[in-house]
Amino acid sequence: MNDVFIDVDFAQIYKHGQKIGGDVFLLSRQDASAQIVCTLSDGLGSGVKANVLASLTARMAHKLSFSPMDLTRSAKIIMNTLPVCKERKISYATFTIADLRRSNTDEVLVNLVEYDNPSALMFQGGTPVQWEREKIDLRRDGAFKQEVLGHSHLKLSVGSRLLIFSDGVTQAGMGKSLPLGWRLEGVRSFAQQVIERDPDISSHDLAREVVSHAHRLDRLSAKDDITCMVVYVRKPRRTLVVTGPPFKQEQDPLLVEKIQRFEGKRIVSGGTTAQIVSRIMNRQLKVDMSCWSPQVPPCSMMEGLDLVTEGMLTLSKVATALEQKKPAYTLPNDAVKKFIQVMQESDQVHFIVGTKINEAHQDPSIPVEIGIRRTLIGRLQRALEDNYLKETSLEYM
Amino acid sequence: MGKKEKVNVRICVGTACFVQGGADLLLYQDFLDPVVLAGCDIQGISCIGGCKDDSMEVRPPYVEINGKVFGEMTQEKLCKALLEAVHA
Repeated sequence: MNDVFIDVDFAQIYKHGQKIGGDVFLLSRQDASAQIVCTLSDGLGSGVKANVLASLTARMAHKLSFSPMDLTRSAKIIMNTLPVCKERKISYATFTIADLRRSNTDEVLVNLVEYDNPSALMFQGGTPVQWEREKIDLRRDGAFKQEVLGHSHLKLSVGSRLLIFSDGVTQAGMGKSLPLGWRLEGVRSFAQQVIERDPDISSHDLAREVVSHAHRLDRLSAKDDITCMVVYVRKPRRTLVVTGPPFKQEQDPLLVEKIQRFEGKRIVSGGTTAQIVSRIMNRQLKVDMSCWSPQVPPCSMMEGLDLVTEGMLTLSKVATALEQKKPAYTLPNDAVKKFIQVMQESDQVHFIVGTKINEAHQDPSIPVEIGIRRTLIGRLQRALEDNYLKETSLEYM
Repeated sequence: MGKKEKVNVRICVGTACFVQGGADLLLYQDFLDPVVLAGCDIQGISCIGGCKDDSMEVRPPYVEINGKVFGEMTQEKLCKALLEAVHA
């Protein structure tokens, strides 16, 4: 598993009265080359016309970035393809492309191409970092002004963030609360304050903070589409899920050692397994009778573990809910909800599956179908990887 | 009159017990007499182990009352057993 996790997310508020945005954000991952490409494009005007232009631009940028072609060259192709507005003599859309690749060290290499969007901001922890952009001039027929592409190679180490936003953010409040708008400096100091207040803030939350502040500056009636995208490089949040006792009883202490050595959240799923852990760690296991539903047995509490649940019933309900992408807040307050919340908050999930057969589950008179543990974990892994883009790994004992 | 010791009750919430009627027993706050309820210390336990014990004659769901394991427990049986235990 990777020691670096790239957290990318965005937030957006449309121009007041619009049902569709003129800012388009695209994000995709390619596992083979460990590459993430995110594109933010802002189309001229607002509404449907802007959306069509921005989508066109963003999609082109996206496709070209995954090709082996040099990013500057693809940016030039896009700019030459983009139509120029007849009246205003400016391009129909602006864009920022960030091509992120994991290097062999603990760094992420960023290839950043900016065209007419506000400059991106970089933070190392809470400190803003300035850098020189390589300027590439491009003369186009019919264009009113000289076009400049900003190209930069950046290295993001663990704890760094990259903020990319549309002009709706920098111009927020123009003529209303701030005569000249929020401006780049304003956004920078605001983002710095937010990061200092909450150093581990996720990309999702930071983007949301920036966008809602811009919206407030616009007195809650946005003058332009407000879009902000954040890239955050951090240590992955890991979760360990232990289910089932080891095949051989001698391995019980080894299992407990693995649980204790794990860095991250720990879930034990299975009554017998929980009892083994409780016995070897010499800690009391207490059942929480307030947290259950007719389909799912109560969860338990134990010092050193984040969640202790029953095994097969809970896991099969969790797998079903993850497969159906049910939001956690729609579920009753039981072990399944807690399990799903922990899963959603983690980036990498490691499963340790004990292969001992539970004789009690072989009883044909049990009214509910109890699946095979291994099939169930397979379902969980697939749902987490496909629906939630988590990394998972599996180990049998 | 000295304070009477509470009756120790452990309801098994393991998979086998839960699916065979144990879930109904967890509603004990609804069906037990408040007087009985006050005289008992009721908690859950992740597995009593009766389901894996071949010498066990009764089937799940299991409830442990003052250290003694009772099987095939239903709401009525639990009411009766706890009433006797509290007044004993």
